[in-house]
Amino acid sequence: MSRTEAKKPSLCTNDPLTKERISFSLSVLSGIVKSCYGPTGRLKQLHNGMGGYVRTTSQSSALLDGLSITHPVLKVLTASVQNHISRFSDCGLFTAILCCSLVENFQRINFAACTVTKISRHLLSLSTDYLKSEACGCRISVDFDNIKTLLSLVRSILASKPACMLNKTEVNHLSTLVLKAFLLTIPHTIETNVVLGKCVIVPVKDKRVMDSTVFPGLLIEIPEFQLARTFPVKRVSSSTIKMALFCISMSGDLSSIGEGTVIVHHGISLEVAVLDQLLNLGKQLVNDQVGLVVCQKVVHPSLKQYLKEHHVITIDRVGVSMMEPLSKMTGSQPIAALHSVSPTCYGSLKDLCTESFVSKHFLHLIPNDTLVCSLILCNRSEMAWDELKLACQTAEHVLQLTTKQPLALLGGGCTETHLASYIRHKSFTLPTNVLKAIDCSRTQYQLVADAFCRSLECVACCLEHDDGEILTDMVYGHFWSIPSGFPCDCNWSDLALKCGCGIYNNQRNLNWTVLRSQCIPFAPQSCSNEPSIHSTDHLVLDCFTAKCSGLQVAVETANLILDLSYIVEDQN
Amino acid sequence: MASAASLDLGRLVQEAEALASAVRGALGPRGGQVLMTRPTGETLLTRDGRRVLEALNLGSPTARMMVACVSSHHNMTGDGAKTFIILLSKLLRGLQAILDKREGSPFCEDIQRRERDQKHCHSLKQISQSLMTFQTHILDHIMAQDLRKHFLSAFSSWEGEISRDTMESILEAYFCGRIGNSHQKLLSQLSCDFYYRCIPFKNGKNEMLDLVNEYFLELHSAVTGLPVSNSRILEGLVLHRDFAVYCPADGDIRILIVTESIDSALSASGLEFVVNAEVQYQASQVWITKRTEAIMKHLQNNNIKVLLSSVKQQEIVIYYAKISGISIVECLSSEEISLLCKTTGISPFIPTQDNIHSAIAETMIAKFCRPLVLGSKRYVHLGLTRTCAFEPHCVIFCGPVHGVTEQHASAFHGAFKMLQQLFKAVDLSDGCEAQPENPNNTSKAVHCSWQQSATQQKFIMENISCNREKVNDQQLKTSMAETEKQFIDSSRWVDENPSCNQTDLQKSSDLAMPIVELESDFMFSALSDRGSSVRELQKLPLKCKHPSEMWVKNKSEPVVNNHRICNDAMTAIENTSTSVVSKQLNAAKEYWKPGNHIVPFKYEKSYKHTVQSYTNLVIQAGSVLSVGGNFEILLHYYLHSYAKQCQQPKITVISTVIADALLSIPKILYRTTKENSFTQVYFKATSALQTNQQLPMHQQGLESVYCKYQLVASVLHCLTKLLTIDLIIGIKRPPQKIDDPEEDL
Repeated sequence: MSRTEAKKPSLCTNDPLTKERISFSLSVLSGIVKSCYGPTGRLKQLHNGMGGYVRTTSQSSALLDGLSITHPVLKVLTASVQNHISRFSDCGLFTAILCCSLVENFQRINFAACTVTKISRHLLSLSTDYLKSEACGCRISVDFDNIKTLLSLVRSILASKPACMLNKTEVNHLSTLVLKAFLLTIPHTIETNVVLGKCVIVPVKDKRVMDSTVFPGLLIEIPEFQLARTFPVKRVSSSTIKMALFCISMSGDLSSIGEGTVIVHHGISLEVAVLDQLLNLGKQLVNDQVGLVVCQKVVHPSLKQYLKEHHVITIDRVGVSMMEPLSKMTGSQPIAALHSVSPTCYGSLKDLCTESFVSKHFLHLIPNDTLVCSLILCNRSEMAWDELKLACQTAEHVLQLTTKQPLALLGGGCTETHLASYIRHKSFTLPTNVLKAIDCSRTQYQLVADAFCRSLECVACCLEHDDGEILTDMVYGHFWSIPSGFPCDCNWSDLALKCGCGIYNNQRNLNWTVLRSQCIPFAPQSCSNEPSIHSTDHLVLDCFTAKCSGLQVAVETANLILDLSYIVEDQN
Repeated sequence: MASAASLDLGRLVQEAEALASAVRGALGPRGGQVLMTRPTGETLLTRDGRRVLEALNLGSPTARMMVACVSSHHNMTGDGAKTFIILLSKLLRGLQAILDKREGSPFCEDIQRRERDQKHCHSLKQISQSLMTFQTHILDHIMAQDLRKHFLSAFSSWEGEISRDTMESILEAYFCGRIGNSHQKLLSQLSCDFYYRCIPFKNGKNEMLDLVNEYFLELHSAVTGLPVSNSRILEGLVLHRDFAVYCPADGDIRILIVTESIDSALSASGLEFVVNAEVQYQASQVWITKRTEAIMKHLQNNNIKVLLSSVKQQEIVIYYAKISGISIVECLSSEEISLLCKTTGISPFIPTQDNIHSAIAETMIAKFCRPLVLGSKRYVHLGLTRTCAFEPHCVIFCGPVHGVTEQHASAFHGAFKMLQQLFKAVDLSDGCEAQPENPNNTSKAVHCSWQQSATQQKFIMENISCNREKVNDQQLKTSMAETEKQFIDSSRWVDENPSCNQTDLQKSSDLAMPIVELESDFMFSALSDRGSSVRELQKLPLKCKHPSEMWVKNKSEPVVNNHRICNDAMTAIENTSTSVVSKQLNAAKEYWKPGNHIVPFKYEKSYKHTVQSYTNLVIQAGSVLSVGGNFEILLHYYLHSYAKQCQQPKITVISTVIADALLSIPKILYRTTKENSFTQVYFKATSALQTNQQLPMHQQGLESVYCKYQLVASVLHCLTKLLTIDLIIGIKRPPQKIDDPEEDL
């Protein structure tokens, strides 16, 4: 008899957002993400209280993976941020903070959910249209001939991860490496369908960050004893080594026999038959002048021995993840047959050499066309290395996204404050027919718009964690921060040195006000004509695609949460 | 021991109201979302009433039954789960109020002498029967006679084409209820686009809808982490697998489907392979490899570029495919394979010894076949040409979380189910034929059944005085034995109904055989025969516009005059001297002509076409009404006026209860709006109806009448089922499923 258990009835909550439980959990979550934001963000230590691995991080992906969230509303929020991160890698904290503060601010004005939803959707479309239009004053186009912009982009990402424990020179060094590695993955010949190569990150811990390097080609780790015995390599010519790549097991085990039975007469060994085949294959490889054999799985020791005797280097157990870059880099096709191997499947290498780092030994496969490169990433501690790896992957992903849409947004809070002043200005000059289409009054619209802008400014404010004062100028709508402890009789213009993104210095009278104070709406001017964009070395930039999408996801998720009228929790 | 409890209406009311309160917040365009967590911990957002109700994990058997009814209704129409449960709770509440009153209630009067605890159950049974009567007979007629003139047609031409504007407003109204106003516009545009892009030729819509509904899982993909606005329609199919081998190809790409492994194994099931020598083993391995190579070469020679496989192929096959420039997609689901076969009309290829040398005929042609990256997953994007039944397209749903994409996908699927319903029609004659035959209704029976709209009925009642026999109790009892119980109710009603203009011209002795065809739903009157003189109707202004269509059937059965109903006046001509005159104005035989039709269809130019004439249908395919509770208000209004006319107290009570319960839907819809409060809307609507004007429209958007009709019918059916339960018995074991041995036959 089948076991049937009575199901527990589900727990239902009416009007969940008015409940104490949710507002408390939301404020805790928003406190966590807000304090992590930016280059001076506070680090969080994740541990499970039972010993074991402790992770120190300030990055959204590690943070949200580590948090165990039970409240379903918060689950929706974190799931949407995590999904955003899995698509874009960057701007996770931005999305999370914006979403939290949108929920808080919209709840405060206390309108019917559908009114808020309609208006905020309109505000969102205003924002995205502005960001995507030519007239946008807070974005710059990325010129791939000018390495400076790209470098700024990578540097901003690495610098905003305080848990990597990098100083300024280290940030610069790593940014150059990441950019170099990325450029190596771009194919030389551009066809219609550009397929980028791959950058493999090789971990080397217990070394200084400054020892990190980039190699074109692949590094395959080999045991030390093998290192001594590998040379000399058999070459076809001085710059060509023939290579065979196998994706099947060469261990001499029997292939599948099918569903029926196989009867083997006494005295006949199938293993011997297979090994015989393997050695025949080895003979063919030697005759074809193959210098390197790489196998995804295990190679039989007898075959290895045979190949070694004929000066063929054998590397086995490289794993499935290495197959694609290997095949891509060398042009060889993974071979799946043990007999009659077609010579067209062989690939070629330019050279082969060995590299050693600390206690690790690598075989360096140098290809003719560099589509694949290896980034040796060093950091002092294991914890910081994990954080650094994540940061480098984010940077690589951002560079890939930027090739698709060669734009960047101003970082350092300037985009948020600029966009907020643009939206404020727009909401005051909105034509009546638009209001009619949304079916709301002007006051309603302005209240929601104000909540929207305050949420954007709140994200910018989260960059400052040391009680400094945050200002905005009334010309460009940029973000200026003043360190705490300034004398109160001091003039702001003496203290504000540089705006958040680094485009503007304090040269003109920019008419500063405290951010989030009531001020007259103004149309912020664009920065695109500024000569300093291309001359300044140290701009702070954000990924355009990731931030635009993060903005949309945050607003959509906030609307979703506000629209909840009922929760049904399955208790089983 | 098994525990037994009798059905308690109060408990039913409580349960239904608790269920209704769970979904009420999500009803209508201004409703909110419901967030659900699964036992697995994932969260799901929904406004789908069925999902919510099913997630509640209820313990009570009656509540579970209600949820099961909701589910089965929703499965069919793709809509209306929330309305269903709200309506049900209101109906139960209404019935409870009647039973509580007791005094004067038609359901309680003749059982006063019975014991107290039986009494309650008995009246429930009676209510259930009256409901059944109402559902099977009255509802259709009210739909046909009263509501029908308010229906609009979604079709813009006689061929059943549907214009984009109309389609959009239908879909928009649908999505408004299903996902709220945040992304409703986007999704309705998306689904509208999908509809028009998938439809292969003008009249292929039903085939296309069937296919889309059946294979919806294969026709959509979801991407999380992107804004909803990134959702789009792609031309061609997306196979939810990655290429095992990808070799780019241009031009027309020939594609082959295989359902088994190309590489043959050493032995097959039921066969033995004997190894005599090592050389033999090696040779057979070589032979297998050579054979695979030969097959792949053969495919290459036949210019096959892509191999779609339902099973995993051996690495050796992949290796040779790569060499021969053939792309392979493996592990396709059987649904994907059958979708491919259906859209292209080809069958899978099976390599045998014979056909690996002949040319391959069964291939499909694609414009392109390339990898597609959606989110983090890699899929195969296939652009088929030469398809039948359906132009392949697929939908990509984007959203910040999985809950959103799933909600959108299920709403999208529901929309196509709804469209399928929209193109269905209801045939009234089916319902009439299904009525139980009265054994008394033989050749001698005199029967006159009037089936008319309530107002027309009234008109006739006032002007025609029918000669009516008082049927005495004894006669009643004789017929009772043979007829269904509902007839008793109806007969009694005839007896006691004072409002009927009965003239006692004749005494019962004269009567050879009284009435008794009780078209339970409708008034009927018995006309006497022979000597008795039926009063002539000559003084009445008789208008019969189409005498040609008036015809007399004279068989052994009663003479039936089928009249067409004209809207303003209608009447019947009777020859009083004939012995048997029977007049049946059957709504089912009612013929409408566009010219006579007084209801203007003038909202928008595309709706101008009237409901087609010369059909037996209560609801035409493609009938729609504007949204905003219009259907409910209309049905409420006509039920009320019907109840006023109705001579049968039980039906009157039932109709009133149903009419009042219907109003709860617009009440919830208009609960938060300021300009259109419910009372205003209701007042406007009823005053418009009284002056015979078209209903005022408050909102854009149309909804399918068929779905609404189905909803009312399903709710009534569910209610009937609930009320017929006598005892609820708790048992320890799960009930054994009774296997029907003839199931397979």
